[in-house]
This record gives sequence, C-alpha cells and structure tokens, in this order.
Amino acid sequence: MSPIALIVLFVSVPSLILLLYILVRGSTGLRRYILTRIGLTLPMIFILATLVFFIMHILPGDPITSALGPKATPEIVARVRETLGLNKPLIVQYGLFLKNILTLDFGNSLVGGHRPIIDEMSERFPATLELIIPASILALFIGIICGTFAASRRKSASDYSLRIYSVIIYSLPIFWFGLMLQLLFGVILNWLPISGRIDPVIGTSLQHVTNLYFIDALISGNWPALGSVTAHLVLPTLTLGLILSGVFVRLTRINVIETLQADYIAAARARGIREHVIVYQHALKNAMIPIITLIGLQVAILLAGAVLTETIFSWPGMGSYLVLRISARDYTAVQSVITMFALLVAIISLAVDIIYSLLDPRVRY
Amino acid sequence: MTKSKALYTFAALLIGLSMLLVSCKSAATPVATEEVAAPAVTEPPAGPVSIIIGVTDQIASLDPADAYSTHDWELIRNTGRTLLRWNPGTSDLVPDLATAMPTISADGLTYTVTMQSGVKFADGLELTAPMFAEQLNRLLTIGPSCPNDVADALAIPYVESVTSTDNVTLVFKLKSAIAFFPQLLATAPYTPAHPTTFPTTECVLFPAAPVYGVGPWFISQFTQNEQVVLEPNTFYTGDLTPQSDKIIIRYFADPQTLALAVQKGEVDIAWRFLGPQLITQLQSTEGLTVGTVKGGAIRFLVLNHDMPPMDDPNVVKAMASAIDRNAIADTVYSGTVVPLYSPNPPGFLGASEAFDTMYKSPNLQAAKDFLAASGFTEANKCVLDLWYPPEHYGAETAAWMEIIKQQLEATGAFTVNLHAQEWATYVSALTGGDSYQAGVLGWFFDYPDPSNYLDPFVYNGGMGTDVALAETGSTFGKAINPKAQQLLDLLAAADVETDLTKRADLYKQAQDVFADLVVDIPLFFQAEHVTYRSNIHGSSTFGSPDTLNIGGNVEFNYSVLSKTP
Repeated sequence: MSPIALIVLFVSVPSLILLLYILVRGSTGLRRYILTRIGLTLPMIFILATLVFFIMHILPGDPITSALGPKATPEIVARVRETLGLNKPLIVQYGLFLKNILTLDFGNSLVGGHRPIIDEMSERFPATLELIIPASILALFIGIICGTFAASRRKSASDYSLRIYSVIIYSLPIFWFGLMLQLLFGVILNWLPISGRIDPVIGTSLQHVTNLYFIDALISGNWPALGSVTAHLVLPTLTLGLILSGVFVRLTRINVIETLQADYIAAARARGIREHVIVYQHALKNAMIPIITLIGLQVAILLAGAVLTETIFSWPGMGSYLVLRISARDYTAVQSVITMFALLVAIISLAVDIIYSLLDPRVRY
Repeated sequence: MTKSKALYTFAALLIGLSMLLVSCKSAATPVATEEVAAPAVTEPPAGPVSIIIGVTDQIASLDPADAYSTHDWELIRNTGRTLLRWNPGTSDLVPDLATAMPTISADGLTYTVTMQSGVKFADGLELTAPMFAEQLNRLLTIGPSCPNDVADALAIPYVESVTSTDNVTLVFKLKSAIAFFPQLLATAPYTPAHPTTFPTTECVLFPAAPVYGVGPWFISQFTQNEQVVLEPNTFYTGDLTPQSDKIIIRYFADPQTLALAVQKGEVDIAWRFLGPQLITQLQSTEGLTVGTVKGGAIRFLVLNHDMPPMDDPNVVKAMASAIDRNAIADTVYSGTVVPLYSPNPPGFLGASEAFDTMYKSPNLQAAKDFLAASGFTEANKCVLDLWYPPEHYGAETAAWMEIIKQQLEATGAFTVNLHAQEWATYVSALTGGDSYQAGVLGWFFDYPDPSNYLDPFVYNGGMGTDVALAETGSTFGKAINPKAQQLLDLLAAADVETDLTKRADLYKQAQDVFADLVVDIPLFFQAEHVTYRSNIHGSSTFGSPDTLNIGGNVEFNYSVLSKTP
C-alpha cells in the first residue's frame, strides 16, 4: 500500500469513528444535518472529477507527441499511447479514471519515466503539508490577534492601519511578494535561505521517515537539520501566511465589532469587567464561529497560494508538481492532483461544517 | 464532564492519535526517498568539499537502456564510462574504456574494440566484455519497450548484434556501414550498466540508491525532485579522478530562484537553464563568472516544400535573403545567441556558412528580385502563414517571430500572418508535414556529428520539410526534384565515408545544396551558459577551463571541478 493511501487510511479511520460516534450519540437534527452534508459532498466530488477529466481531454493537442518531441517516430508515439491506455475510447478512459480514484491508484504519468502518480504525489504531499500548516497557523494568529486588536480600538489610528494592512497584503501578488522577501532576507541581508526545504549538505544526514522534514529532524534528534528546516520554512511560510492573514484580520475585526455591540457585552462592562477580558475572552470566543467556517473555505485559497509559493521557493510539493505537469500536458497527473485537491477541500469543508454544527446547535438543515 | 466536552476531548484524542499513526506508519515505508542507509549521525558530514550544482532539469530515467535527455545522460556519463569519450572541453573522440580506437572491417560493418582489463564498478564488481555485451544486448532487446526509448533512436537502426570473443574484446555487427558509429559508442546508451541494478529483463528507470557504475562517481543518495548526491568511486582507474568529495545536484522549479541561489551562494554552479535575461543580469554580478558554451540547441524555420507557396523556390530563397539574424540576436537575446548560417553549427565536421555565402542576408533587393521572378510584387503579395509555439522555446519566441515578420514584410511583397499554437498541437502539425506552411523548430544533437544535424531534416519527410516525401519502409524517402535527390545522395555518401577529409568535403557540398534548396532556414544557435562562483574552478589539464571544461558537445564532467575554501 502506498504512503498516501496509508495517510488517507490513518486519517479517515479515526475520522469515521468520530463520525459514527456523533451519528450514534448525537441528536436527530445533528444526524440529519451531517448525513445531508455527506450526501452533498459525494456528488460534488464526482462532478468535479468529471469536469476535470473532460476539460483535460477537450484541450487540443496530443500529450504523447508533446512529451516525446519531434524526434519520435509515429510508431513510437503509437506504442506509447497504447502502453498508457490512451488509445482506448474516451468513455473507457473515463471509467478507468473513476475506478482509479476509488482505489487511489490514479494510473501512470504520461511524461518522463511514466511513474505511478500515486508515488509522485506521495513524495510531494508531505512537502505541501509542511508548508500549509505553519502558513495557516501564521495567517490565523496574525488575523485573530490583529483583527481583535483593531476591533477593540475601532476608528483609531491602529484600526485604520490594520485595515489598510489587510487590504494591501491580501492584494499583493504572491510571486512578487515572495520574490521581494527572497531578495531582502535572502540576497541583500543574507539572513535566510531562499530555496528548497533543507540545506543540501545537511540534508544528506537527514533520515527520511515521514518526509515531513521538521518531524523527521525532531524524532531523529538531528538538531542541525531541524535548524536548517526551520530556516528554510521561514520565507515560504511568511509569503503564504502573511498574504492569507489579510482576510482573517478583516473577518475577525468585523465579527468582534458586532459581538462587542451585543447586550451581554454591555452588561459585562456595566459589571466592571476589564475591557481586555471582555474583548479577548467573551467577544472573541463568540466571534470565532464564522471564522471557523472561513478556515474551511480558505483551504482552497491556501492550496492555490501553495502552487505559486512552491514554484518561487523551489519547494518540491504538490503545487510545483501541478505546474510542471500542466506545462507537460500530463493529463493523468493534472487530473489526479486536482482531484486530490478537491477531495481535500471537500473533506475539510465537511469537517468544518460538522464542527460548526457542534459549536452552534442552531445550525441545521 | 458535560456531553459536549466529552465529545471534543474524544475528537482531539482521535486527531492526535491519527497524526501519530501517520508518522509512525510512514516510518516503515520511506518511499519518497530512495537512499543508501542514512548515517546514524546527527551532525552534517564535517570537512569534505561538497560542490552544489543547481539545475531546472528533471530526471526522467537513470537506466542507460532508456534515458534520452541531456540531464539524464549527464548523470549516467558521470557515473559510467563508455568505450570512447569526448575529451572534456573539446569534441575530440578518444578511447576511454577501450585501449584504442575501434578496428573497422573493410566493409565497414564490423567494429572490434579491446577493453581495458581490471575495470570495476563502484561496489568492486569487475566489468568483463561478456558482461558489457550482455548489457548492450539489453539495450537492443528491452530498450524499445522502455518509456523514453533511446534504443529506437540510437541503437536499433544501426546495431545488428554485440558479442564478446574473450574477456576484453567486443565485436559490434552493424546493419549498414555508418561513419559516425564511433560517436554513437561515446553516447550514454552504450554505457555498461550494473547487472544487479539493471537486470536484462526489465527497464529500471529510478533504481534505489546506491547506483553503481564504472565511472568516477556513484549515486549515493537520490531524493526525487530535490537532490542527487554523488560520491567518488574508489575503484575508478581512469584519468578523470574526482577533485571533490561530493557533488550535489539540486533541482529547481524556477530559473529566477536558481539565479538568486547562485548569487547568494546556496549553489556553487547554476547550470541549465537560466534564460537570456537572467544570464545578462548575472554577467554583471560581482563574484560570479558566466561561461558561454558554444554548442547545443539550434533554432530554425521549417519550410514545407510540398505546400504552396513554399513549393516555389523563389519564395523560399526570398525568405532566406530577407532575414537578418543579427537583429534577432541583438534585439531579443542581447547577444547571448549566435547567428547560424548552416544547419551544421560551427565547430562540427565540415561546418560552413552556406546561407551567408549564398544569400548574404539581409539583402532586401535580392529578396524582391526572387519574389518578382515569381510574380509577387507590392500589388500581388505573397501571403505566408508562420507558426510558432509561444512557450516551448522560451517566451522570447513571439518577439523574434515578430522581427522576422517585419523583415519579410520589408520586402513589400510578403504579407506574413503569425500564428501561435500550443506545443502539444504544434509539434505534430509541423513535423507531420501536412498542416503548416512554415514554423519554428529547435534541435539538440544526440551525438556531435553533422549527420545528426542534417539527415533528420532531409530524409523521409525531413521533420515536415518534405524535400524527400515520406515513404513507408524507406530510409531516404522520395526526392521532390533532382536537386533534392542530389542532396540525399551526398548525405548518404557522407554517412558511410570514414575518411574525415572526404567526409567533411561531402558535408560542405551537402550544405551548399541544402542552402540552394532552402530546405529550412537556420536562424541561430543558443549557447549554453554555466554560471559559477569565484571559488569554483575547472581543470587546466583539459580544454575550456573557463566554462568548467564544458565543450561544444555540452558534456559536463563533474570530476574536473574543484573548490577553494
């Protein structure tokens, strides 16, 4: 079984247990809500996979000729096409594609060494995970702290500054922002590395266990590697995290402002509770519910941002893999990666909705 | 504890448990990284000199019976040896595993080569002629079923069989006499592969490290998409002894990042590809040297002689007369490309500047005269459709195609329509020979011989030039006119001529006919650039130390590299 299948298995089994627990022990309304959400997610993934498949095949041009170049004879092109099953009728290829999704197989790449796509994704997925987790944490941290701070000082200079920050940072093109950070902190100040996941020389001493280099360095006690991995994470994380933080600043601010106008906040103030306790303990807690919903939606933006960030920082993750395969017209790889992204977004959105329904019992279909 | 709190605690525990399980289970199956048992030490290796080379290439295969890309060949050649090789920095073919140049039978069909004895793979296994023959027969048998299929390009059409007569003698029987067979013997497919790593029954594109060859290096670690680590082969007995302790090849997704990395010192050498803008920028960066390797890729216009108006000799001659290659080189590439006046680039056997001699382009009056002879004037313009792929040969392609359009239209008798087409559609439409009048094509040789630059564009359809119409089962195809037949005859004679002087003369004549026919219009060749930091040096023992001993054949021998602290 491939590592990615193992990851899916070890994430999905506990999730399923949790889901079953909720379904068995939860209220009827909650049960109906969750089942409806799952019922909507499955056809959504199916429709998306179908769209991706047919869009890729409608595009003009032959990926085999493209990959083999002008030196390949028609006989070689025909043989490769047959080997990869591209000589079969489109509907048969579609059936195989759906079967492959269900079995997490995805077939073989059309270019290079025709490697199994699941192997290529298994190698790259941990790199993407290692990038998007700290970037999300950074975006949330900045967003929640700054948003709450701005809300608590509404219409002050700090509030205006943070609002300007949130608009500007969110509108910056990622590739430009990444390049500026590389130039400033990498080339001019020479503080931080600008490419890759680890120093190449130190990397030779790292034992690859999970392929999450931070974890690998930590569990093997390889401190130079840990330092190098952390340093390499800084600029890509800042690029992705800061840009995403803009939307969280705005959302947190507006929700905290609304909550601060609630009656129970006025009552708390009347009782002489200190303002920072009111803001950070009472208002923020209640303002978090819509923010949690947004986290689910931001996963898609996070993955889209990762595509650019990975390319700029030569980060060997799923995003840079997607760019590489799109340029090579590798049908099977592109549709597999997009389907994986869609699965990921759908599952996280589902999880967020379930958590939301647990947090706020008013949410029901 | 309330019901909801219990639920949250349970959820948190499950998530924590699942993360732990993922980490632990993955530990048992480290698929992403195939490497030698990693050292148990937690410190990076102290002391040894490591040289880091950054590239934007990708590995497609490490199997000599399959690999068919420049970067794959570079790795195979640095970890392996061939019977003959090009001396670093030059195109001189010299014996490597062979004790002398091959003995050729009178009919030119049998090549006998004596190998050095005592040659060993990096794991100590001795290479014998029977073992070598078995590996070369592997190329002939399973090679065509491998994905990249180098065998059908460089072995199957030429080699009938490979046998050994004793432990050091190899005998190659050819299907037909070809003068460039020694050049083929120096290419990566003719490298002896390790019999355990590369069994005779299957292609092994990505073998698990360590990957041993008989060359100066072996691959000690291989992390897909990130880096390849090479370490010296202690059993190596050739004259390319490694000058450093480790070579690390790092893979970059973006040329801009590679350029910044060499500026910053994250890599010592930035090799292929950076693009003209970045090269120009790095040339003025302190502490960096940019070496220009005059060899490699050429760009030209394929003209379809079976399709109007390209079937009119006056039209194609007018095009050849009107194009100003220097304007393209200077305006678009800031002088980083070299104008090309023959399909056989400078430095290759028999290279001439036939197009310059014949057309002295840009010569607008000559172009107008050619067009007028066919009745094309300002009142009756010749309409041309020129095609190009917008990205495949770099984003600059659109700019220089626009320059060509302006140059042709400056005659007053051409109307040029430019069409961009995405590569996947473009390449088959152009080389198929029945869709486009004319279009841009690039070419990179497999072996540095004029036949590799001339034959493919003339023989049997000629990549869409159609000067010899494609015929099933034919090597040459059917010439469209007597001049095309003359060209076919000259090239066929040069293919088998083993006397270098006579062969060079045949190619000179062939280039004259090629230019007269205007089979295609050579435009420029794109020099390769190697950018390196001031503490990196090539070897003064071999040619071209300023380009780290990379010569016109674009062979990069890592052994010549040294690094000062």
